[in-house]
Amino acid sequence: MNPSRHPETQAFRRLRSGLARRRLAQLEPRLRVELFLLSLLLAGFVFWQVRTPFASLSAEGGPPAVAGALALTSAVLAFLTAGFVAGRHAQRLRGGPPGPEWLGLPLDPRLLARHLAWDSGALAGWIAVPTIGVWISAFGLVPLAWQIALLPALAWSLFLASRLGTILGQRIALWKLRDHPQLDPMVRILSARTRASRPRPIRAPRWTRKSVRLAFWAKDLRVSLRVHSVRQQLLVAVLFWALSLAAWQLPDMAARHVDYAAAFVLGLLGSAALGEWLVALSGSDPFAAVRVLPVRLADIWGARFASALLATLLLVAGHALAARELSPQALRVFLVWLAGATLMISALAVNYGVTLFPRADIAQRLLGLSLGLAVAASLMVPLLGWLVLLTAVLHSARRLPHWSHLEEV
Amino acid sequence: MLRVRDLTRSYGRLTALSSVSLDVQPGEIVGLLGANGAGKSTLLRTAAGLQPPDAGTVGIQGIDLWAEPLAAKRLLGYAAEEPSFYEELSADEYVAFVATVRGLDPLAARARAHTLFLRLGLAGRTDEPVHQFSHGMRKKLSFAAAVLHHPAVLLCDEALDGFDASGALEAKAELRTLAGGGCAILFSSHVTEAIERLCDRVVLLHRGRVARVLERAAWGSPAPGPSPLEREFLAVARDTLHP
Repeated sequence: MNPSRHPETQAFRRLRSGLARRRLAQLEPRLRVELFLLSLLLAGFVFWQVRTPFASLSAEGGPPAVAGALALTSAVLAFLTAGFVAGRHAQRLRGGPPGPEWLGLPLDPRLLARHLAWDSGALAGWIAVPTIGVWISAFGLVPLAWQIALLPALAWSLFLASRLGTILGQRIALWKLRDHPQLDPMVRILSARTRASRPRPIRAPRWTRKSVRLAFWAKDLRVSLRVHSVRQQLLVAVLFWALSLAAWQLPDMAARHVDYAAAFVLGLLGSAALGEWLVALSGSDPFAAVRVLPVRLADIWGARFASALLATLLLVAGHALAARELSPQALRVFLVWLAGATLMISALAVNYGVTLFPRADIAQRLLGLSLGLAVAASLMVPLLGWLVLLTAVLHSARRLPHWSHLEEV
Repeated sequence: MLRVRDLTRSYGRLTALSSVSLDVQPGEIVGLLGANGAGKSTLLRTAAGLQPPDAGTVGIQGIDLWAEPLAAKRLLGYAAEEPSFYEELSADEYVAFVATVRGLDPLAARARAHTLFLRLGLAGRTDEPVHQFSHGMRKKLSFAAAVLHHPAVLLCDEALDGFDASGALEAKAELRTLAGGGCAILFSSHVTEAIERLCDRVVLLHRGRVARVLERAAWGSPAPGPSPLEREFLAVARDTLHP
């Protein structure tokens, strides 16, 4: 029988087209439009950044130089794609891929591996957006025939990068697995079990009377320490902030503003990671368990924002100590901007996390897009990003009064 | 008491509930029977405030659930069909959290939780993270969290499904005690035996509508308490636990 006509192959093909349709249908029409506009903006931003260097190259080396630069940029994007897809695929395989108990079904493991790779490889679609921006940047600088010929090449490179990423991801997931080497790799990965013995007992909680906000805050802290995905987000924030503090120790360069800029940019990256952590915390809230409790919006919002406020205070104190050599005026400006940005990002993250509950994935995406847009706006017109960020905070805050009538499971 | 009036709820083109009205008086246990897809879970989830109705109202002790959700939910307990938890918290931690949010006295809540855990057969496992729990243990934990505060209205969505026999008996006893204290209980199940023994009245749902309402006299009165088979099981379980 022709392998492509094999019933299993056809079943997976149908499943994939069904999944793709369903996932698209899950996005609200308004969100679809927003995502499309944001993709346009991102592609436009990439165009705006790349067009000038391409034009310079065209003036110096003509169309071959531009085509070479285009190929090089695309290769970098493909490399990034492979890395992202590999990480995501490995994580999904180890954490349990979406879908049924795959090993309970009479499936050819190779077909299953191909299907799971397709599921993880969808991430490559997002890299297509900046790639299109790069491709458009070469418009008019290379002959039209080259331009058209490059398009399938770029698409093919992304596809190959995605495939390479999933192969790497599977290798990573397989790494350190020693049991049953005779089995198919996918079967080994999916059948790998973590400890089955009784876990270490958790210390008994203290049954004390405290406010609802404090109860949520304490629970958030426990969840952050115990849930791997949430802890990871917090650690990334801490890491960036530690690097941001360490930036003040950079050796003196021509001007003091090098460490100033490094500390600020790293600090902002840490704040963005803090935002992701706040969204992840919202995502960890079990829908039915929380919604039946007599909890006010102010309690959950307040508990989450209190964590952000505390983190911001620690960050500001750390920088105030680490940048003592800075003039008081410059230090004050630095601290106000950094604290302001951190609090705005945190407010945005809490708003999205709470109001899009239990769809933390959408909240995460909107936060990322808002921050990306703010950065892009700041690069285009200085300080415009702040306006974008403030607008996003205000826009997201408008959803708050309706928080209890939102996304249904 | 629980008062549901003209509750309607659709999922796209599918009407899961169509103008459903019912009352559960204080001290009454009302069974909700229906085939799969009849709308039992939709009714309970909507009455618990998990999803807004398209039309109609839910009143908890005279408080409109969707107008004053906070006040209504203070009086409400909900044991879910597929309960969800903070998976990394221990059962103890989870119930302590619920008790705090409900504003219960810490010492009394701890004593109540430990009693419930002991009776339901969870004692000794409450210091483990919830993700280690089996389906039945998760259901027991959900039940314990739902009744912890002696709710005025309790909604049980296939709540005893997955319980072992002794746990189910204890849970039924707890439900009777709560009802004796004035709690209005709406108990959904597809197991008619559980409803026969437990409920005072049964509402039959069919395709999202109330098809019939039966009083206890309509199905006779099986002997209260455990059935002969359950008594045998209990005797063995007690011998095993206390040889």
